[in-house]
Amino acid sequence: MNSMNNNVADLVKDVEARFNVLSVDYPKDDQVSFDFDNRDLHSALSYLRSAGWIQLSILSCIDWIDENEFQLVYIIFNWENPIRIQVRTRIDRKEAKFRTITSIYPGAKYYERDVHEFFGVEFEGNPDSNKQLFLENWDDMPPLRKDFDSIAYSDSKYPKREYKTDFSKKAGDK
Amino acid sequence: MSKEIKKVEKPEKIKKGWDGISNYFRANSIWMLMYCTGCCAIELPQAMTSRYDMERLGMGPMATPRQADVILVTGYLSVKTLRRVIYAYEQMSEPKYLVAFGPCAINGGIYYDSHAVIKQLDQYLPIDIYIAGCMPKPEAVMNGFKDLIEMIKSKKATGWRKYRDNNAWYKANQIHALGEVRIKDEFHE
Repeated sequence: MNSMNNNVADLVKDVEARFNVLSVDYPKDDQVSFDFDNRDLHSALSYLRSAGWIQLSILSCIDWIDENEFQLVYIIFNWENPIRIQVRTRIDRKEAKFRTITSIYPGAKYYERDVHEFFGVEFEGNPDSNKQLFLENWDDMPPLRKDFDSIAYSDSKYPKREYKTDFSKKAGDK
Repeated sequence: MSKEIKKVEKPEKIKKGWDGISNYFRANSIWMLMYCTGCCAIELPQAMTSRYDMERLGMGPMATPRQADVILVTGYLSVKTLRRVIYAYEQMSEPKYLVAFGPCAINGGIYYDSHAVIKQLDQYLPIDIYIAGCMPKPEAVMNGFKDLIEMIKSKKATGWRKYRDNNAWYKANQIHALGEVRIKDEFHE
């Protein structure tokens, strides 16, 4: 346990010496998260990749609608040194555009398509970014954005069953 | 195209008799295509294996829709899956029966607010029998199958005929929900 914590501390020191880290967090003992400015993200990722974090486990996105920003979270994993790193960055929500990382992690191709489909973030440099992956014939705004009204869309597209009796009330209620 | 094919109408009595005989055989050997769309599929292994032993009703799993008599829609259907289910259902040869599991096929169940899940399966495909429960226990599944067999024997399982007669209505509903029924993804290009 001790050695692992030392491991994490060394890693954080190393990364902080090389890049401008906005904040560091420790979600769990074997996890670290770094927040970078979106200009530093690519150099930070390629450094971490060369340092052994060869696997991109997932690329996720969070919609911070009040701050008008999208947060991209890259979770990377190292098979020799079991520390999971979350590399996080924020981009503008209105002009949701970011540069692809497929040159660093080729597998990101599909994750970027996923994020593009569900959040509408455009990844420049990924030729397949606009291709559909999960949703077929989607005709509305990206569905995982916070201002997307799922119930209204569902009701307009898939008719509700009408009941003559109101089953939502309990037996004793009037 | 001057020649018209004449349809020879069989006398009503023979037709009825023949239907009764074939329904007897149909009811006693049902091959099913399990379209395991949702969580209710987890109840099928118990119903199929030694504890409840579906085979004693003459039911067995079948690999392809063209050889199957009944299709089991086990649970919620996303629009993406609905396209594939329609493909599978239309490939099956008549007579064909459809069994819907759980509340999701009735009114959407817990997925009533999802952007990706349909609410009423009977708008898009004809359902012969619903099995209630979230998920239905193997006892309920077996009971549902016994009811289906009774329905086939007494000629009440006529969903496939409904689909043929009201095809325009079903197609219109499918297009309203799906936009287009044809599957277009990069693996079919």
